[in-house]
Amino acid sequence: VIAGGFGVGKTTAVGAISDIEPLTTEAVMTAEGVQVDNPGDRSAKTTTTVAMDFGCVTIEGGIKLYLFGTPGQSRFGFMWDDLAHGALGALVVVDTNRLDHCYAAIDYFEKRDLPFIVAVNLFDGTLTHSLQDVRWALAISDAVPVVTFDARSRRSVRDTLLVLLDRALDRATAAASR
Amino acid sequence: VSADDVSTGPEPVRIRPFVLTSGRVAGAENVGLETQVVVRHRPAPDVHLTPELASILALCIEPMSVAEISALVPLQFGVARVLVNDLSASGYVEVYSTDEAMSQDPELIMRVIRGLRNL
Repeated sequence: VIAGGFGVGKTTAVGAISDIEPLTTEAVMTAEGVQVDNPGDRSAKTTTTVAMDFGCVTIEGGIKLYLFGTPGQSRFGFMWDDLAHGALGALVVVDTNRLDHCYAAIDYFEKRDLPFIVAVNLFDGTLTHSLQDVRWALAISDAVPVVTFDARSRRSVRDTLLVLLDRALDRATAAASR
Repeated sequence: VSADDVSTGPEPVRIRPFVLTSGRVAGAENVGLETQVVVRHRPAPDVHLTPELASILALCIEPMSVAEISALVPLQFGVARVLVNDLSASGYVEVYSTDEAMSQDPELIMRVIRGLRNL
């Protein structure tokens, strides 16, 4: 699962490593929520169509690894249950200028206990905030890797997925020995 | 709708995707985005499937994910999963769902790591 706010480079990352041209699927989502700016109103029910981009890498042994870029809207988060089902882990892509856009994703993966890492997409090759600052701002545990990557580079995306899979392997090995 | 469909049977009625599922949204929970679908039996010549069902069967000559089916037919994901479930219940397709435990199998994760390293 590749999560993150709008325009953060999720689709670019999927396209960089996918064997197939990234495809788009649409899902209709219904969300119920109290209107924050007018709490006196009754709960509002909204329906929206969310587009999700995905790709696939076929690796040795006939394994197909699907990469799903998740919509950033937090209130439509229930789609994440479909995404998280059978997922090896999640890559949370962040833009350091808009860190708040990934809070909902991180909350979800923590609650769901899905292995995840945070990857700062270096759009222009410069890091505007230190990775320590990012970790602090996101309030994630020291065990969660925070890395930088270039979503346009196949090798960089692959290496970032390998960091995530190492984390997933550690978790799976620990769980299996319990 | 292809010309063949029109000439060999009654003209199919064009209906909206949500009507196609008869309003059903549940019952297909085992069909996920990554679930692989492949044709098992082709329908008999006198069976006329809706164009959407026929499109799904045409795509699934090779194993294909529900996400790809949804993108290529195209159908909303929620509709695609219900129709795939129907095709499975009718015996036209075989579905291979991902077992939640598989994603936490250290051996499988290691195979994916090795595969990615060799890309």
